[in-house]
Amino acid sequence: MASKAGQAKKLSRRSFLKFVGGASLVGVSLNLAGCGEPITAEKAVGGSGWMPAQYNAPGNWPTNVRGRVPIDPENPAIIRDDEKCILCGQCIEVCEKIQSVYGNYELPIKNEIVCVNCGQCTQWCPSGAITERDDTDKVFKALADPNITVVVQTAPSTRIGLGEEFGMPVGTNVQGKQVAALRKLGFDVVFDTNFTADLTIMEEGTELVKRVTGELKKPTPQLTSCCPGWVKFVEYFYPDLIPNLSSAKSPQQMEGTLMKTYYAEKKNVDPKKIFSVAIMPCTAKKFECQRPEMVSASKELKDSKVTPDVDVVLTTRELARMIKRAGINFAALPDDQYDQLMGSGTGAGAIFGTTGGVMEAAARSAYYLITGQQPPSALWDLTPVRGMQGVKEAAVNIPGVGSVKVAVISGLTNARLVMDQIRSGNAPWVFIEVMACPGGCEYGGGQPRASSPPSDDVRNRRAASLYKIDANAKLRNSHDNPQIKQVYADFLTAPMSKKAEELLHTNYISRAEEFVTKKSKSKLN
Amino acid sequence: MSKGVLVDIPKCIGCESCSVACKLWNELEWDPQEKTKTPTDRAKEPNNGLWPEEWTSINRYALKKNGTAVGRYVKTQCMHCEDPACVSACFSKAIQKLPQGPVIYDQKLCVGCRYCMMACPFDILRYEWKKSIPGVRKCQMCPTRVANNQETACTSVCPTGAITFGDRDELLAEAKKRIRSNGYVDRVFGEKEAGGTSWLYISDTPFEQMKFRTDVTTKSLPSYTEGYMKMTPFIGGAWATILAGLYVFNNKNKEPLE
Repeated sequence: MASKAGQAKKLSRRSFLKFVGGASLVGVSLNLAGCGEPITAEKAVGGSGWMPAQYNAPGNWPTNVRGRVPIDPENPAIIRDDEKCILCGQCIEVCEKIQSVYGNYELPIKNEIVCVNCGQCTQWCPSGAITERDDTDKVFKALADPNITVVVQTAPSTRIGLGEEFGMPVGTNVQGKQVAALRKLGFDVVFDTNFTADLTIMEEGTELVKRVTGELKKPTPQLTSCCPGWVKFVEYFYPDLIPNLSSAKSPQQMEGTLMKTYYAEKKNVDPKKIFSVAIMPCTAKKFECQRPEMVSASKELKDSKVTPDVDVVLTTRELARMIKRAGINFAALPDDQYDQLMGSGTGAGAIFGTTGGVMEAAARSAYYLITGQQPPSALWDLTPVRGMQGVKEAAVNIPGVGSVKVAVISGLTNARLVMDQIRSGNAPWVFIEVMACPGGCEYGGGQPRASSPPSDDVRNRRAASLYKIDANAKLRNSHDNPQIKQVYADFLTAPMSKKAEELLHTNYISRAEEFVTKKSKSKLN
Repeated sequence: MSKGVLVDIPKCIGCESCSVACKLWNELEWDPQEKTKTPTDRAKEPNNGLWPEEWTSINRYALKKNGTAVGRYVKTQCMHCEDPACVSACFSKAIQKLPQGPVIYDQKLCVGCRYCMMACPFDILRYEWKKSIPGVRKCQMCPTRVANNQETACTSVCPTGAITFGDRDELLAEAKKRIRSNGYVDRVFGEKEAGGTSWLYISDTPFEQMKFRTDVTTKSLPSYTEGYMKMTPFIGGAWATILAGLYVFNNKNKEPLE
């Protein structure tokens, strides 16, 4: 049997090469002539990802929720991590509908991206893409420097928020643990912003009385100025109402100024070596401390080497991060006390942290400033200004003046309604408290994220905790604070004295030139 | 009908939703270094912020308008030419223009010669230099979305209507309307540039100041060489036939070599 291999036709090397060469030529020619498989959309690179459902509608169908707010990379208060953004549109929702900032300008934008730094978008962002600008490194650096005296102040509402970061129930008051944690972190002096909240009431209350009596030639209603988001909002959208804003600085800035003047003088510390930190429930405070006019200590001491009144503002969340980073067992800390001189506030100062609190505190002290008598207990529970409604009204009966009408607003869209009424000249109120964040500072842009989006349930529980501090306080009127009496006796002489004006009052600028005012009520596009 | 996108530069607020949408939809990776760059930084870069994983970029230009400082945000991505030079340069047909408008790229067909990058008049294409099997990367104009009657990822998320998706003809008419009513620069960039592009730009500030290639020809780029280059297969085929005929003719009477 012959082998099959032997029968196979012999293929020479030459003819094999000829065959392969010919086939290649034909292939290349066909390819060049375009006889390939046609490309289809599915074969293109990309397109394998995901988009939120509202964007997958056919054609140009209208969608109510689109995109996100613009954030300037230079924004001193908030930053965004694009990698975490899912384009859910919640930031636009809160900025446009609740704060009425986004979309309230004509396009094209000029140079600046309009932002009041309130930080509500950080609370609404479900993926944590928008957060405060982290300044903890600056503070760690100052703490590590033995030549620097690091003085810290804590806002009224950080004590009822901080605990949530460590698993405690919403609204737990951790004032003592907070002080202990700050000392453990290495802060040299721990002061309480509640003290300057009381001081704000003295200055702002005196200013109000002077406006009402005509001693001060400024219009009523007087608008509160402790909320930097609100102040910037007025500067942007209601520059004509700037004279209505109280010239009193916010408690944070008052405390910062006094740290570098009053405290430095009393304790004989070089103001150039004081590093002033503020723990705030707020992102707009980061902007406020960088305002060019907030350098009263430097001006007063005529020393350009003294840094701004408040060097760094940390949010409640940043403080929690610092405590976690330092490995401090927060829950196990024993309660500690604030340092004295500027470390005690009254119940009136404590309720600054919630909507209506400033009004309630002011009502108590205004009564005293006008009548010279202690306010009746009804003013210790001014229920009409409590609660989470956006606009609240109350009438306070003060002998000799009669019924004084006041209003309390939280949320900037609510503020617009009232400001428009003031513009048209039919505002019956004498004094109006405005907080940019709905519910006030207790759910400010720097507070722990207790629910997403923020809920009134959380707001009410935090507010209740603040009102409890007030109810249990020995002193409930700002003017009764012995340290307030002391600072006026030893340093400032009297409310709105020349020195108090220089150190505790400020001025505002119009920011109306930064954008083109909205002409129609239509949406941005 | 051919689709397109109208970019109304003054309407852009710089939120960069479009860049994020592009990343989400195309699953493009985040580069930690690129992420920290601002629109101002990217405007100063020679590559306009476009990288293999950055198919679109928002660049901010600080300009002067009537003596006052203004900032303008410009979206950058593939222009999707009507008659793309990259497509004509690609001999392996890895880049093709779809009838709906998108100029798309199939990496399976790509041989990596990068002729397309040389051909592009707008310097859009990027090569994955860092990969062992690299591809060419650029905006695809979301071909699967467009084919499904959806708009592109970036236009779907724009909150201000700065980028609008639609039929190119209608967008062109809209662009001219907006130029008249808004007092913009009287030019639709992309109407005629490089023979016309699917993406159209209008602006109230001069295009030259925002790094637009305003000196680009209005003739379609492949048309320069198309006249004779399209003969290549036929000339090749004819030569093959002639040479094969000559071979057969010459060997007609010869004995086989073996």
